[in-house]
Order: sequence, then structure tokens, then C-alpha cells
Amino acid sequence: MSKVIFMDLNRCIYCRSCEVACEREHNGRSFMSVLLLDERHPVPMNCRHCKKSPCVAVCPTGALTRLENGPVIIETMKCVGCSLCAMVCPFGVLELDYLSKVMRKCDLCIHRLNENKLPACVSSCPARALTYDEFDAIMQRVKEKAAKAIISGVGLEPGIVVSPPES
Amino acid sequence: MTGLVATLGSGAMTNPIPDLANSKCIFIIGSNFAENHPIAARWVLDAKEQGSKIIVADPRYTPTAWIADVFLQLKPGTDIALINGMIHTIIKEKLYDKNFVKERIIGFDQIKALAAKYDANTVGKITGVSPHLLQEAARLYAKAQSAAIVYCMGITQHTCGHGNVVSCANLTLICGNIGRVGTGVLPLRGQDNVQGACDMGGLSTVLPGYTSVNDETGRTRIAALWGKEDLPNKPGLTVVEMTNAAAEGKVKAMYIMGENPMVSDPNTKHVRQALDKLDFLVVQDIFLTETAELADVVLPGACWVEKEGTVTATSRSVQWRAKAIAPPREAKADLAIICEIAKKLGFEFNYQSADEVLREINLVVPSYAGITPERVKEKVGGLTWPCPTPDHPGTPILHSDAFATVERLGKLIPVEHQPPFEMPDDEYPLLLTTGRVVMHYNAGSMTRRSASLLKRSPELFVEVNPADAEKLGISADEEVMVSTRRAETVAKATITNRVPPGIVFMPFHFPGVNALVVEALDEKAKVPEFKVAACKIARGK
Repeated sequence: MSKVIFMDLNRCIYCRSCEVACEREHNGRSFMSVLLLDERHPVPMNCRHCKKSPCVAVCPTGALTRLENGPVIIETMKCVGCSLCAMVCPFGVLELDYLSKVMRKCDLCIHRLNENKLPACVSSCPARALTYDEFDAIMQRVKEKAAKAIISGVGLEPGIVVSPPES
Repeated sequence: MTGLVATLGSGAMTNPIPDLANSKCIFIIGSNFAENHPIAARWVLDAKEQGSKIIVADPRYTPTAWIADVFLQLKPGTDIALINGMIHTIIKEKLYDKNFVKERIIGFDQIKALAAKYDANTVGKITGVSPHLLQEAARLYAKAQSAAIVYCMGITQHTCGHGNVVSCANLTLICGNIGRVGTGVLPLRGQDNVQGACDMGGLSTVLPGYTSVNDETGRTRIAALWGKEDLPNKPGLTVVEMTNAAAEGKVKAMYIMGENPMVSDPNTKHVRQALDKLDFLVVQDIFLTETAELADVVLPGACWVEKEGTVTATSRSVQWRAKAIAPPREAKADLAIICEIAKKLGFEFNYQSADEVLREINLVVPSYAGITPERVKEKVGGLTWPCPTPDHPGTPILHSDAFATVERLGKLIPVEHQPPFEMPDDEYPLLLTTGRVVMHYNAGSMTRRSASLLKRSPELFVEVNPADAEKLGISADEEVMVSTRRAETVAKATITNRVPPGIVFMPFHFPGVNALVVEALDEKAKVPEFKVAACKIARGK
């Protein structure tokens, strides 16, 4: 079993702490970017570490591999910067490092995982919009939350009423 | 703070921030915590997931407002009218807590008479909030089993700031939303350890533990502990009053620690004149700030990881902060610097460590008596005052059985809506309000030095509604000139629906913004009106 970073879009407040934390862990380069759509909907975008990773499948030099405990990583010595991985990535999260001419991406903070720490983006998320856990465990929590909401009649859709001032 | 002292008897947050998760309704007014206290969002979101109703009142559609079930987009400076309007509905529909009103508070009749004037239609005209939304918010707040109010600088930084706070307390009290889990009044402080600085008497009228300088018994008690017969019995000056006194030549020397008034105080031109007029200026800071550049002597202080001691959070919890690394080069911990200066002045400041200072606090401030170095270092999350004895567990929730007033009752104080000091007119047709953004902290002395943060928020901007932008003929990212009666500042235009037409917003982290705002103070709290000024915007520099 491998753990994943999961995003609760309803909890993201667009503080971008995850981006800054990622930068701190990766020498000034962030592999997380939160996009704000329609000035209202923040969406944290990072590598999903896909179970059937298209990037790993197309990498001609074998630089992209998937480790047993989950992370899809790039062995930079093998990378030739051909960008094929970027072409097949559905999320646009691969980056070309113009200086060293290799591809770079989120490594799930493997150096932190090895020390039993959470990925930096997850540990710095004040709103707890990001979690890192076994997929099934996360789904179980979502189920429980939804079940509680159903029982208490809360409803699952947050409603927003906007009242612009009358001029 | 003065507003809560008048009504509840104590100027502090009544419940811990994580307790918000237990609220059934959270009313947030004048606080954009999603950007400015992001950690608070954690518990508000937890509450919402469990069915709590969230009401947000703010002139801007902020990331905090995204969380709202009911969003009240009021005009800046109309908070009192809005709250009085909620009280009107609550009294009219008999939704107030009758037992609580009878047993725990005084002044209900006066509030009833006041609120009668603030029907939803009248309030709608003042605030711009539609009557049905106002009534909906009032009902949600009053009917909830437990409801909390969260406020911040959007409430306090007005000429009617004291009245705004009193209004929040009035609403809390008539609904009995205090002294229990999930209730309370939660003012979020602007900086780390402001609560602690106030608790220690870092204000113009009080000694440590809020002992008034007029209180002879209290004053002589502290004097005796310090080996003196008596202490000065006259109030000192507040920050803005000090600046004025310096400008008038009455204050000759100033010692500024960890504060950057050249960016953070209103009317920068006036601050500059005042500081220039001083005979001698000492600034103690971790960076050479805009203010330090004007100093005769700069003393390099230590940042938080380079010194030890307690910090008191906005929720009154006192936590120990250990030193992780030594200050660089000639920099020293603030305690060491102050001790050395005091010794040169002939005082016996022989503190060897922060432990010793805390032991003195244990003696001087009764509510800190049980917060000993041994206990506080052990306890993760700290101890919450009042903690009067060494075996006391601390008091996370205030006012459970009685209020801290002389009568031990909560006091309702009627306050009328009062328009801001300066409102838009023909010459300056736009209303300028100021605040913070998530990427920066206060005067930006620290955050404007971080490449990571600057990359995401590089420069001063002004938020303008698309309708105003079209009228003014300005386009996105264009440099514009924002002027008020006091100054003019260049900023990049951000065209956005976050602000309604007629209102523009600027973050004060960058120099130039507080040069624009008015210096008018709240009479009681002495807080300047950072939140409302009249301005105009023109294309180009």
C-alpha cells in the first residue's frame, strides 16, 4: 500500500503555504501551485503520483521510476530533458530546469518521508485541506463525514449567498 | 480592548480559538482570518463540516467570506448599525436569552430602546446589506445552541472602534453566548505576543496585570515588589500621541523596539517630521527598517528562534519558546540589551535568564501567578490565564459564572452608528480601506525580505472594482496614482470583484499606504482609523 496526498477543495483558503513550504524544501523551487479560478475557487495542483503513470511509461531513458512506497521520481543523471513526460502528463506539473537541462517534479518529499515526516506541503497546510494517508483510510473518513452530514440533515453542498451593496 | 473591559470587565479573548470547532454558529465581522490568521480557518472549517452556520460581514469578498453561509457585504464603517440591526430582530422576535438577560447582565432596557430605531430597512440604507440577509444572520446567531463572534482590525481600526467592540459584546450578551464551550467573543490580535505585551503593562495607562496607574493600592503593591515607595501615577502617551508630542518638540528622545512606524503608523509624512525633530532616536530591530534608517543608534536585536521566554497568544495561552540558535554576530536577545541599558541608567536589572523574569511576573501579575517556568516549559500548548496558583489548571473559558466587572455582571452599553471621520466627496470620490494580504506580515520588515513571499506578492497594489476601472479608464496591472488629502502613492491596479464599486483596497505592508490614511483616533481606545479614507485614483504616475 502507498500513501497519497489528498486535497479537500472545500477547505483550501488559497493561503499558498504549501507552495512556500515546497520551495523551502526544494532549494527555492516549488512543485506545488495553487491556481485560483474565477477569483473564488482555489485548486492546489501538484504531481498526483499516478498509479499507472504515463510519464514513467513514456520515459525513453528510464529516468522516471515509481518507488515501492509510492513516489514517482526522476533520476536526474538519466534524464535527457526530452520533455516527453511533460507531454503526457494530464496535469502539467512537470518542469524543465533550464539550467541543468533535466526535468523536475514533486518527489513527495521523499527525504522527509524517510525521516517519518509528512510532505512539507501537507504539514504546513493550516486549513488541513491537504492530507497524506492511505487512499482507503482517506475514503473512509470522507464516508464518515458524509454519513454524519446526512444524519444531521446538514446537506453536503455548502451554500453561499452573496449580497452586493445596493448602490 | 477598552470596549470589552467596559462590557465584560476583561479585554481578552473569552474562548480558545480551537473551541470554534464546537460552535453551532460563527459570526465573523471585520476579520479576514483566512489570509491573516490562516490557522483559525482550521477550526471554523471543522465547525462548518459539522453543520455550523458561518456568517461573514466584510466590505470585501475575501477568502474568509468564501466560507460563509451568509455573507453580509456592508459598507466600511457601518458595523454598529449592522449589529444594532441584528439586535433589533433578535429582540423583536424574542430570540434573546431571557434567563441570561435577567440574571447575568444589566442595561437591557436601554439596549431595547436603542435597537428599536434600527429596523432592517433603516439599517439596510446605512449598511447596504439587504434586510432579509440581516434578519437571517440575526436569527442564525440567536437561535444557535452556541454561537461565537470573531472580530479583528476591521472592527477596531475605526474612530468608532470602541463602539464597534461594545456592539459585538452587546450582541453576545443578550443572546447569552458566553462562558460556555463554543461561544464567546474572539478578538484576533494583529501580532504574536501583543496579548502578552498588554498583560505586562505595555500600554499608556496601566502597570503589569492591568493595574491602573490611578489605583493607589495596586500601584503601591507593585512598587513594593520592585523595592520602590511609589510609581508615577499619571498615564503616559499612546503611540500616535507620542508621535504628535515629538512633532511638537515635547518628546525629545525615543527608543523604538520591534516596531516600524514609518510603515505601520498613519500619515507617514507626519511621522517622518516627528522623528526628525527628536534629539535622539534609538531603534532596536532585527533588520535595518525604514524607521531604523532614521536612528542615531541602531541596536541589533534577536529574532524569535534566537531568544527564549514566554509568549502569550491572542487566546491568553502562555507558552514557552526555547532558544534554538544563537543570535548572529553582535546581535543580542532583547532582554540582554534592555538589562545593559537599564544598568547604564543606574537601575538594578540583573536578570540572568528569561526564567528569572517569569518568576517576577509570577509575583507581580496575579493572573500569571501559577504560570511558573517549571510548569510552562513542560506543558505543550501552554497554560491559559487566569492561572492564580501553582496547581491551577488555567482558565480557557472566561466569564462562566461571573463577569470581571465590579458588579460581576455583564454591562450592555447602547452605542449609536457614527459615520467615519472622512467620507468620499466630489473631490475624493472613492472610499479607501486598508488591510493585509496572506503573503506579508505587518509593516513587511520581515516578509518583504523573503524571496518566496515577494515572488507571490511583489509590490503595492490597489484593488478596484471593474465598474470603477472602466469609469477611470484604467486597465489591469496599470500603474495608477492614489491620492488623499494627505499624500499620493503609486500602486498597480488589480481589477477585481473582491471590492464593490466605490470602494478600493490597499495592503499596508508596503510603504506609502499609511501615508494616505487619516490620523483620526478613536476617543477611548486611541486606535487610528486605518479602515476608511476618501481618495481619488488617476492614470499614470
